[in-house]
Amino acid sequence: MALSIADLPKEELFGQGHAGCGGCGAAVAGRQAMKALGSRTIITIPASCMATMGGSNLKTTWQIPFYHTLFEIAPAVSSGIRAALDAQGIEDVNVVSWAGDAGTADIGFQALTGAAERNEHMMHVCYDNEMYMNTGGQTGSQTPMFAKTSNMSKGKMIKKKNMLAIMEAHEIDYVASASIAYPLDLIAKFKKAAEKPGFSYIHILAPCHRGWQIPAEKTIEFARLAVESGLFELYEVDEGKRTRTVEPIFIPVQDYLLPQGRFKNLTQEAIQGIQAGVNRHYGRGE
Amino acid sequence: MVKNLPVVPTAKAGSLVDTPTGITWRIQYPEILENCNMCLDCTLFCPDGAIVQQEGKLVLNLSLCKGCGICANECKENAIQMIPEYSGVQGVFR
Repeated sequence: MALSIADLPKEELFGQGHAGCGGCGAAVAGRQAMKALGSRTIITIPASCMATMGGSNLKTTWQIPFYHTLFEIAPAVSSGIRAALDAQGIEDVNVVSWAGDAGTADIGFQALTGAAERNEHMMHVCYDNEMYMNTGGQTGSQTPMFAKTSNMSKGKMIKKKNMLAIMEAHEIDYVASASIAYPLDLIAKFKKAAEKPGFSYIHILAPCHRGWQIPAEKTIEFARLAVESGLFELYEVDEGKRTRTVEPIFIPVQDYLLPQGRFKNLTQEAIQGIQAGVNRHYGRGE
Repeated sequence: MVKNLPVVPTAKAGSLVDTPTGITWRIQYPEILENCNMCLDCTLFCPDGAIVQQEGKLVLNLSLCKGCGICANECKENAIQMIPEYSGVQGVFR
C-alpha cells in the first residue's frame, strides 16, 4: 500500500513553536513520526535536544502526553507506562521512548537492552545526529570515524558502533533504519512498528546542522546524501526478514563527506578507505 | 495509605504554539510562488510545522517560521523563494 502525503493526518502533534534551532533535523523526525503514530501515543524522552525542544514545565509543543525522564531510563519508564495501561485494560495506545544517540547507544543502553530482552510492547526511536549536540557536540559512540567534534579536534579515531545490528541481535519484532529525507518510507516504518505486539526499534538519521557544520537549509539534503552514498543503509528487519527499502544510487562518498565542516580534515586515503568500506560491506546480511 | 503528592505545574498541550520560540531569529522568510504543484513535500520537511495544507492549498504561518530555508532548498519546482527579512538601515520586522 503506497502512502501519499495528501492522505496523512492534518493535525500537528509536535513541532509548532518548538524551541529548537531553525532547520533542526530532530524536529523534522518528530513531526514525520507523529504523522504515523497519531494522537493515541504516550512518549518518554530522556535528556536530549528533543526534550528541551518540547518545552519547559509551563509550555509545551507536544499535543500528546510527554514525559521527560532521567537520562538512562526512557525505555524503562515506557515499560512501566505499558504495564499501567495493561493493568487498566487500555489497548489502543502506542508507547514510545524517543532518545538521541547518547540516550540510546551510550548512557541509555542498559535500559534499552533490558526492555528489548523482555520484549516489551513498545517502540524505541533513536534520532541519531552522531554527536552529543545538547551539551555542545561531544564525541559519542555513534560519531563516525574521522569526524571532528568539540572535544576531539583532530577527529574521532574509532568506528561508529552499529546500533542497528546490536538491536537486531536481540531478536525483537521489528528493527528499521530511517532517514528524514525519505518521509513516506519513515512513516510506513512507524506504522508497521506500531502494529507489532512486541519491541520495535527505529534508528533515524537526523542531521544537526550546527554539529555537522553545514548550512541550515541543507539538513534534509545531507540526510539524503548519506543514503545515496551508501553510508547509511535504509532497511528493515521484520521478524527476522531483512529487506532494503531504498536502493541508493551510490554517489561518491566524498560528495557527502567533504562539504561538511566536521570532515574538512579528511585525507584522500581516508576517503578511499571509506569508499572501499561502502563497496565491500553494502548489502551485508542478504 | 494515601500520600499527599506535590502538585507540579503541568504544561497545557500545545501551548508553545501561542508563544513560539525563535521567530525573532528569522533573517529571511519563505514565499510560495505560483508554480507550486502541490506535491506537499515541504509540509513534511518543515521542522516547525509552518507550512500546512488547509482546504486544498498551502498555508504559510509566519509566526512559526524560523527562516531556515529547508523548504526553498528542497522544493523540486523551485516554487518557494526566500526573501530577506530586513530592509533599509533600521530594518523592518514583519
